[in-house]
Amino acid sequence: MSEDPEFDAEVEAHLDLLTRRYVDQGMSEEAARLAARRQFGNLTLLREERYRFRALPAVESMWQDLRYAARSCRRNPGFTAAVALTLALGIGANTAIFTICNAILLRPLPYRDPDRLVMLWERPLGSAESYAVAPANFLDWRAQTHSFDGVVAINPFPTFVLRGTGSAGLLNGAAVSSDFFAVLGTTLAMGRSFLPEEERPGANRVAILTHGVWETRFGRRRDILGAAITLNDIPHTIVGVLPPDFEFVGRSADFQSRTQFDVWVPTAFNTNPSRGTHPLRVFARLKPGVTLDEARADLDVVGANLARTYPEENKDRGIAAVPLFQQVTRDVRPALLTLLATVGFVLLIACGNVANLLLSRGAARQRELSVRVAIGAGLGRVAQQLLVESTLLAFLGGALGLAVAMAAISLAAPYLPVDVSRATGIGIDLRVMSFTTVVSLTTGLLFGLAPLLQARRVNPGDTLAAGIRVASSLPTRLRSSLVLGQIAMTLVLSIGATLMVRSFWTLLHVPTGFSADQVLTARITLPRSRYPNADRIAALHRDVLDRLRAAPGVQAAGMAAYLPFSGDDNGWAFFIEGRPPLPVGVYNVVKYRPITDGYFEALDVPLIRGRGFDTSDTGNAMPTVVINQSMARAYWGEENPLGQRLRFGGGIWMTTWRTIVGVVGDVRHEGLDRDLTPEMYVPFAQAPQPEGAATLVIRTALDATAMAGVARGVVAESDPSVPVDRLATMDQLVSSSVGTPRFQTIVFAALALLALTMASIGIYGVTSYTVAQRTREFGIYLALGASRGTVLRRVLGQSMPVIAVGLAAGVLASFALTRLITKLLYGVTPLDPVTFVTVPLLLFGVACLATYLPARRATTIDPIVALRVD
Amino acid sequence: MSKGAITKSEVLQGTLDLMILKTLQALGPQHGFGLARRIEQVSQDILRLNEGTVYTSLMRLQHQGWITSEWAPSENNRKAKFYSITRKGLKQLERETEAWERMSGVIGRILSLQAGQET
Repeated sequence: MSEDPEFDAEVEAHLDLLTRRYVDQGMSEEAARLAARRQFGNLTLLREERYRFRALPAVESMWQDLRYAARSCRRNPGFTAAVALTLALGIGANTAIFTICNAILLRPLPYRDPDRLVMLWERPLGSAESYAVAPANFLDWRAQTHSFDGVVAINPFPTFVLRGTGSAGLLNGAAVSSDFFAVLGTTLAMGRSFLPEEERPGANRVAILTHGVWETRFGRRRDILGAAITLNDIPHTIVGVLPPDFEFVGRSADFQSRTQFDVWVPTAFNTNPSRGTHPLRVFARLKPGVTLDEARADLDVVGANLARTYPEENKDRGIAAVPLFQQVTRDVRPALLTLLATVGFVLLIACGNVANLLLSRGAARQRELSVRVAIGAGLGRVAQQLLVESTLLAFLGGALGLAVAMAAISLAAPYLPVDVSRATGIGIDLRVMSFTTVVSLTTGLLFGLAPLLQARRVNPGDTLAAGIRVASSLPTRLRSSLVLGQIAMTLVLSIGATLMVRSFWTLLHVPTGFSADQVLTARITLPRSRYPNADRIAALHRDVLDRLRAAPGVQAAGMAAYLPFSGDDNGWAFFIEGRPPLPVGVYNVVKYRPITDGYFEALDVPLIRGRGFDTSDTGNAMPTVVINQSMARAYWGEENPLGQRLRFGGGIWMTTWRTIVGVVGDVRHEGLDRDLTPEMYVPFAQAPQPEGAATLVIRTALDATAMAGVARGVVAESDPSVPVDRLATMDQLVSSSVGTPRFQTIVFAALALLALTMASIGIYGVTSYTVAQRTREFGIYLALGASRGTVLRRVLGQSMPVIAVGLAAGVLASFALTRLITKLLYGVTPLDPVTFVTVPLLLFGVACLATYLPARRATTIDPIVALRVD
Repeated sequence: MSKGAITKSEVLQGTLDLMILKTLQALGPQHGFGLARRIEQVSQDILRLNEGTVYTSLMRLQHQGWITSEWAPSENNRKAKFYSITRKGLKQLERETEAWERMSGVIGRILSLQAGQET
């Protein structure tokens, strides 16, 4: 009986030594051995005592349970696979979503003390809107506030044509105030940052390269410091290179999608900086010990002072301070948190299924447990064994889930929306691993509880007696409530997902006001040194357009300074001839769009009245303007605006009166979910300010992408020094503008589908189990002459109330919960009646099917066979 | 347990445990046979015990974490299990010794009382 060779050896050695002693005293070998035994005492008692001590240590019994659990997993590969797979999907989905949340919402911003950084905005008093900042206002903020260790500005708009040093091409530039990098806390990899005196015009001919550009464009040249490069035909000296891990973090909506920069230059402020243009984005670092509220009070004082001093520009304007992290994550945070909650529901549903599986197996194991309890295992001991088993399964699922998550992330990575600007850091790190471990552990305890409730009811006498299987009512009730919960949660997810899909569908079908099919776009950037004035620019435009229109396959061609869906935009103030002057500080501002002839035709923007632009609208011709319907309605109502004149605000152009010659249809510019806004179009050649960059818009008879070569060729023929970039079809631009809602919708739909599948499997499994358990009962019914219909009704009669109550609970929960995704919806109310009627019906259908399939089996029972069961 | 009635066997068990701890502290690592010999020698046959109870005591002490054990070659080059006292065991020994001395002092005083002495 002894399985303790170590102890036996120890005792044996002791006995030998005692025996030896007696032999030495003159005893015979046999007598000595007997004497030794006597002196040693009761060995059996000792062994029993020893066994008691050995059985006690928890670690040891845990190890025993673990081995037992591993064995039983290996013995039931089907069961183990089902559980592990279900958990892998549940935990994997959670890990994947958490990984994204971790990268965007938990990872600190890559700057020194990022919590102290804020963004400052101009804000109309009492409004939630915020505007970029005028240079003059920025300078005053910097000089007059006391709460900050530095107030810095960045202008994200410069685009540089790089020439010399071998390669030519376009660089995305940023113009920043001199202490920009110091305030962020970035130390340069090489060289120095900008100096305060380099903020003066003329002195700002210095540049800092990002690490990437230094590597790709300058071949990691060690002697780069002091080297000269030509940016827009102006020589600059390179004074520094940024470290490789520098990352500019900005919400893409705040920067008109310009958050990737190649080269940095100092922003120059002349002696009379503008207070009317707003190109700057402003960052500031709170002084140690200064709270955000104190800083806001400081800003209120400065803002009020500026509003008094410069009422024309700053009347009723204040200064808003938003923590940088909050500003950066503003768009994605609600969506990510919703996804995290959603995926948590999916895990709960998965737990429900696993609990059900364990319960089914628990029924079969009832005898095993009974035997254990009968021979004296305490309930705690049985509980430990069950929990060890479920935890083992959970970790198995967790490990697989990690693999699932990694696969899902690498699959989804290319489709992540661009405005998840910090998506570069998405990956499995320590925090993700801990998350998965904790989730696995919790999951194991959660579904391990179910069989525990069952085990508590084990009565050895009942289950061991005569092998009769007693269908305990507790598991059935427990299983029913699990299924009920699963149905309710699945309904909530399905309703949420359906709302998202309907919202996305609505968004996709918002009329844009133009036709995006078969339209290619490409940006050309004219260096100012060679194209200093409107005439030179117009001449190149004329040449390029003529060549394009002559190219085969081109149906129409035009150009725009600010193309819809490109992220580029601008607005301008104007005055209408003959109207009374507006109060100080109040302006009519509408969107302003320099375009060439052929633009309306190329985008198929409908002409409502009058005419569009044609080749006669040159710089010398009568100044003209075309407005859209929204502008006509806003400023002329029912009147005919044609022939009316207006002039632009600001500077020398105030004297030029422009005649309205046409009205065109409204066009969505910033995005499908944005409102239509008043717009005015002017001929490029008559633009109040020369625009160096323009986007070609080419309508083709064939595949638009096939025209890319033609577009490049035509521009090269006109002027080979003009770079062409941002080639994209209009369809692509529109499509990428809805990247975020598309991503959300796909993920939501996928999760809902996963939930639906799991819930269906759950219902199917429970019904199958019930049918299997009641085989004998149904056999008796059938033997006694019950019709198959009656049996079917009995099975369905058991499931239907569960399904009905689950659906009712789900509808009620959805009423409460869909409100939370209001922000993510477009054109659909969170209580959309269509969704709230169809989805429960659909789910009801699926649930019925999942019940009916196994229920039908009950009707095919052969009474003779059924009665022989056991 | 210590606060309730102390049975005879508990006294013996406790005494044996204390003796083993003290022996291990004084002489260093010992195997079961050696401990039995030492106790036999010290008690000069006053305390005659079944040597198996040494092992019960060792199990108890090891379970408490007061001693550890390790297989090592013994004097006659056979392998034997050697027990040694742990840091925790040393603390326990200190506590027990103190308690024992207090107790034996009390008992000694009680037993040395003579009739009429209290007046």
